Amino acid sequence: MRTQPGLLAPRQLLRSLPDACRKLDPRTLWRNPVMFIVEIGAVWTTVLAALHPSVFGWLIVGWLWLTVVFANLAEAVAEGRGEAQAESLRRAKADVVARRLTGDPDTPEERIPAPELRRGDHVVVEAGQIIPGDGDVVEGIAGVDESAITGESAPVIRESGGDRSAVTGGTRVLSDRIVVRITQEPGKSFVDRMIALVEGASRQKTPNEIALNILLAALTIVFLLAVATLQPMAIYAKDVNPGVPASPALGEHGVAGVVLVSLLVCLIPTTIGALLSAIGIAGMDRLVQRNVLATSGRAVEAAGDVGTLLLDKTGTITLGNRQAAAFLRVAGTPEDELADAAQLSSLADETPEGRSVVVFAKQRYGLRERTPGELTHATWVPFTAQTRMSGVDLDDPKRSLRKGAAGAVADWVRGHGGDVPAELARIADGISASGGTPLAVGEAVDGSARVLGVVHLKDVVKEGMRERFGEMRRMGIRTVMITGDNPLTAKAIADEAGVDDYLAEARPEDKLALIRTEQAGGRLVAMTGDGTNDAPALAQADVGVAMNTGTSAAKEAGNMVDLDSDPTKLIEIVEIGKQLLITRGALTTFSIANDVAKYFAIIPALFAGLYPGLAALNVMRLHSPQSAILSAVVFNALVIVALIPPALRGVPYRPGGASRLLSRNLAVYGLGGLAAPFAGIKLIDLLVRYLPGMS
Amino acid sequence: MRYPRWLRLHLAALRALLVLTAVLGVAYPLAVYAVGRLPGLHDQAGGSFVELDGRTVGSALIGQSFTGPDGKPLKRYFQSRPSSGGHDPMASGASNLGPEDVVDRPGRQSLLTQVCVRSKAIGELNGVSGARPFCTPGGAGAVLAVFGPRAADGTVPRPTRVVSVNESHTPFMASYKGVRVEPARPGEDYAKGLVVPVRGDAPADPAVPPDAVTASGSGLDPDISPAYAAIQAGRVAQARGVPPAQVERLIKEQGRALGFMGEPTVNVLKLNIALDRAYPAR
Amino acid sequence: MSTTLAGILFIGSLLMALAVVYRPLGDYMYRVYTRPSHSRVERAVYRTVGADPDGEQTWGAYARSVLAFALVGILFLYGFQRLQNHLPLSLGRTPVKPDQAWNTAVSFVTNTNWQSYSGETTMGHLVQMSGLAVQNFVSAAMGMCVAVALIRGFVRKKTGHLGNFWVDLTRTCVRILLPIAFAAAIVLIAGGLVQNFGGGHVADTLTGAHQQIPGGPVASQEAIKELGTNGGGFYNANSAHPFENATAWTNWLEILLILVIPFSLCRTFGRMVGQNRQGYAILAVMGGIALVSVTLLNVFQLTHHGTVPAAAGGSMEGVEMRFGVANSATFAGATTLTSTGAVDSFHDSYTSLGGMMTLLNMMLGEVAPGGTGSGLYGMLILAVVTVFVAGLMVGRTPEYLGKKIGSREIKFAAMYFLSTPVLVLGGTAVALAVPDGRAGMLNRGAHGFSEVLYAFTSASNNNGSAFAGLTVNTVFYDTALGLCMALGRFLPIVFVLALAGSLARQGRVPESAGTLPTHRPQFAGMLAGVTVVLVALTFLPALALGPLAEGIRS
Repeated sequence: MRTQPGLLAPRQLLRSLPDACRKLDPRTLWRNPVMFIVEIGAVWTTVLAALHPSVFGWLIVGWLWLTVVFANLAEAVAEGRGEAQAESLRRAKADVVARRLTGDPDTPEERIPAPELRRGDHVVVEAGQIIPGDGDVVEGIAGVDESAITGESAPVIRESGGDRSAVTGGTRVLSDRIVVRITQEPGKSFVDRMIALVEGASRQKTPNEIALNILLAALTIVFLLAVATLQPMAIYAKDVNPGVPASPALGEHGVAGVVLVSLLVCLIPTTIGALLSAIGIAGMDRLVQRNVLATSGRAVEAAGDVGTLLLDKTGTITLGNRQAAAFLRVAGTPEDELADAAQLSSLADETPEGRSVVVFAKQRYGLRERTPGELTHATWVPFTAQTRMSGVDLDDPKRSLRKGAAGAVADWVRGHGGDVPAELARIADGISASGGTPLAVGEAVDGSARVLGVVHLKDVVKEGMRERFGEMRRMGIRTVMITGDNPLTAKAIADEAGVDDYLAEARPEDKLALIRTEQAGGRLVAMTGDGTNDAPALAQADVGVAMNTGTSAAKEAGNMVDLDSDPTKLIEIVEIGKQLLITRGALTTFSIANDVAKYFAIIPALFAGLYPGLAALNVMRLHSPQSAILSAVVFNALVIVALIPPALRGVPYRPGGASRLLSRNLAVYGLGGLAAPFAGIKLIDLLVRYLPGMS
Repeated sequence: MRYPRWLRLHLAALRALLVLTAVLGVAYPLAVYAVGRLPGLHDQAGGSFVELDGRTVGSALIGQSFTGPDGKPLKRYFQSRPSSGGHDPMASGASNLGPEDVVDRPGRQSLLTQVCVRSKAIGELNGVSGARPFCTPGGAGAVLAVFGPRAADGTVPRPTRVVSVNESHTPFMASYKGVRVEPARPGEDYAKGLVVPVRGDAPADPAVPPDAVTASGSGLDPDISPAYAAIQAGRVAQARGVPPAQVERLIKEQGRALGFMGEPTVNVLKLNIALDRAYPAR
Repeated sequence: MSTTLAGILFIGSLLMALAVVYRPLGDYMYRVYTRPSHSRVERAVYRTVGADPDGEQTWGAYARSVLAFALVGILFLYGFQRLQNHLPLSLGRTPVKPDQAWNTAVSFVTNTNWQSYSGETTMGHLVQMSGLAVQNFVSAAMGMCVAVALIRGFVRKKTGHLGNFWVDLTRTCVRILLPIAFAAAIVLIAGGLVQNFGGGHVADTLTGAHQQIPGGPVASQEAIKELGTNGGGFYNANSAHPFENATAWTNWLEILLILVIPFSLCRTFGRMVGQNRQGYAILAVMGGIALVSVTLLNVFQLTHHGTVPAAAGGSMEGVEMRFGVANSATFAGATTLTSTGAVDSFHDSYTSLGGMMTLLNMMLGEVAPGGTGSGLYGMLILAVVTVFVAGLMVGRTPEYLGKKIGSREIKFAAMYFLSTPVLVLGGTAVALAVPDGRAGMLNRGAHGFSEVLYAFTSASNNNGSAFAGLTVNTVFYDTALGLCMALGRFLPIVFVLALAGSLARQGRVPESAGTLPTHRPQFAGMLAGVTVVLVALTFLPALALGPLAEGIRS
């Protein structure tokens, strides 16, 4: 479902044009007060132009209508991009037949259309079939192709019980047979929600958007007032200058209606008013592009505000498993011998830790990996949870090797008549203290046994995490690592990864308590989770991202679902949230800053005839009053189109402190917003001066 | 009896106002008054009155007119600044005329003409040039109403008719942009013309100083600038028949407070009292 | 010494004096508003009022108390003026006519102190000192109370309480305004201001004429008139009158009195929110805008552009000799940047652009530094708006001083900054559209327009200064401007208190590296920019038809 975020193609604009025109309907447009006022102005000037036709009047009318159309276009394009995604999702859910289990021994199964499934129904799905609805696997294990939703072609395993039991309607079972208990209500499946989301149908205004709308409404009222009260002032000014002949812009009855509307449209924040909803839609869209589904826009905005990030250690901060990081000799065992013994004793250990010993021996000591079949007369002893050891017994010469938990190996050495040096305990304690896990390697030859050394296993922090967390800190986000490890281990990893804090020996209720404490301190908390026992915490967190691989309970509790089940995605989500707000703020600033230049275009155009001194305000040296007013209106309309791409793409966000960010955005959108229209209006004036009716 | 809540609130507010009035509106001014009775403050609190020969001739802080019954300046006295209220302390205030009030109206001279008239009169009285920028030699505002088609920038590049609006006799200039300048005819409305003040070639820094030709803010300004005092000294000396140097010696220039506050001034009443004391009028 | 250098030193010495008192006065006011103990006099006041000094009020109760006190004040002052002929010290003055009495009552209760009357001929001494001057105290105090309530909104968390209006009011009057005013009044007497209860003294002038010289309790009223940023003069000529402002140094002192509380409140604000640097940031914005404005005003006045100033050779029309052009311009800046409205020279006769600066200062909403209290709360409202836009640009829900600026907060802030433009522009438009409005103009053309615009700007922003050529003692102007003053004062106050209530209910968001720092030059610069740009955009068309039309020469 990943669609190309790409640049805005002109074709896309054209395709959205019909939609944009449909949105001219006042019944839909009134929801956007700024543009609604522009439309009213356009209607009124149309009437005026029809009553007193002039080239100038009709040009203004045309561009006023274009202003509204351009604003609608922005929204239509944003929605259009979602539509393509919705289409591919609809295909995924087309015409699936469900095999519902009836519980009746005679007809154990019946075929019904998927949309008729209800919560609690049990369905059976076999290889090659499409899962008819969202639910949990209650029986069996299967490989599932979820590419229709996640875009990932690699199959995933879904099995009953545990945290990998959730399946999504519309995905395909590749192997085996599973029984699924449906957990959705009809028409409210995950795919349905996704479609609604990407189409923007379920979009509600987010809190910041509402606040911004209030501010824009207030600004609109101010300018409405400034323009409305200009009329009696202009009439007075005209009255006291009886020698000045009436001009097309200013006559006995004050400023011409067309000009008054032009001034109003130029002043009210049309730029941000036009783009505001597109920014919101595009923000959600960017999340979808990254395979994250947010159930509410509020959550996306909250992501930008997150003050504390709870991250599970395993899989998020560290690679999934512990790995061998050093071989430590005991009692003067030669290092090569220790490495050889460690490798041999681990060959039968298929756990990730065991594999890592073999890999480490190869990488560090250049020991070729031997396969169990390669050695004759060897009895392999695999790792079990009971013995907590793995190893090998060799016949010729008779020699046994064991590798495992330090205590277990020590007992084994003693049992074979050997002594365990105190050094072992010291080394093992040292490793434990540093957060690692010690594994001892022992050898028994002909009735005598000894400890060869210790393997230091440790958690390996993913590459780049330290920098990532540094970035977070500069963004003002506190990172807290959640782990089931003991405090010692947790601290060591926390230090290495560079998180700000950790919660060791964490139980789900500890997590919940931590979230509550952070929230009581005024911080917004974001977390990821997948298990059912994460559900309360996910629900409590302000941003709860459930892994798509997780249980239905987790997905219900959170307010976002990551289809890639990538816990580090949280960081990107935060960035998207911030980008959404930044884009709104930046374009608002730009929109307001634009007004300054427009005044310099329109005020002298209107009043220089009455008060010759005001011609000095015509700093752009615009051709004529008509061309000045038209240029301002044209610029105002075109700038909307010019800003559609940044509105949809979002203003670039680079993590960093608030001050730097503000400086940059102020320079670009504040100062840029002041300067751009001076250049733009002048350029347009250079062109439109050749139109008829411009002098 | 229990009043409704809103009434109780307003009664509380009234009680608060009354008790605060007692403290702030009665006790406080009386306390200030009491302190003002102390020596060192007493004179000022009373009004800084000055006496000559046992009679109170005014307040050192309040300016007065030194004109004769006909309203003409008495030559033996230094003159105060113009006052829009005739130096009547019961009618303090300013002219409030704007910086572009340049066209005379029936019954009211424009501020520009007032300035020009004063400058001319003061110049003549004191034997200096009364010429000023934007003033006609005759002592009126040099302002033209220019008629003709307006250009886009509001100017009249090719006038058809030009009137000197503040002059009903021979205009101060013969022609403007090739068009003959007419004098204004009383009762005619020139509002349709473009108002063009004409700078003329008077120096930017005229002989009669600015304070002499402008009305003060209070209408009671007790001071004039040292420059205005200087141009009057000769005339006063002549009127009193004393050498100018002796009159000049009586001019007590009050420098800026602490060296930088305000402007140097000369208190006219005190100066005139000093004159009357030193050289009683004959 | 040149006039320019002297003018610079004059401004510089004022800045130094303000810097010297900033901390002690700000800290003192902080203690006044935060200490729990009550003095004996204050307890007596509370007993009389029937208020529990330790009982706190919600924003609604606080607002109701403010409004009730104001309403009672207006009625009381109206009655006082109407009945003055029956009271002692009336000097035989007749009752003030109803529309003028209404206008004056509203004017003084709202801290506007617009004068549609001439003090020396209209008001008796008792009305002046026990009516008008009392409102000089309490209307100033009311602004400070509201500002403090707003600060409490920022400081407190999860509470509905904003303090007790009666306590704040009493303490402001008794502990802050009264002692300073008393000391200032004595110093002003030393400078030449009168303080007596005489009906006037007839002098026999040198030329043999008679001059009636009025008296009155002027010094006591002058001190609080400036300190409380009120501005209603004892005499018609206001602070240009030698008995109200006798020397160049009393002029300096009066400017200092005007500015001292509004600027020092920044310190109080910083102390109350626990971060002095937040106070300095607000101070920097206020000070920066004020300095630029006063400098421009001085420049325009000293270059004396325009026909009449050029003809006169200086902008001396309506200016007193002892102050000179430069110091008068500084006074004009101080009075219009605050909500004072006292004048030591007449703005109507200023150069066009100089006059525009006084107008622009008021249009800024009087926030640099603004009236006592009202300047601070006005600036904090602008800070809220700025934080909102800036906060979005750093990618977070905007926060100011640990409080989130959400839709509720923006709503109140928006209504606040809407209210004055509505009154100013609406009022001006109406006045120009009706014959009664146009009839009052003294000057013609663009300048006449400026007079009307100035009147509504001054009234709606509670300044009180005037382009005094406008004849405002008419039923139309007395009524319309009275309405503008009342709405321009109390609508914003209600919105500020509502905002304070909404802020106090919130918890506090801890600061982090992602929080927009609001104490750095960057934010201060942006706040100043927002203040100026918002105002410029709102009022530029009006300014173009008034002072700009008159003042720019092609």
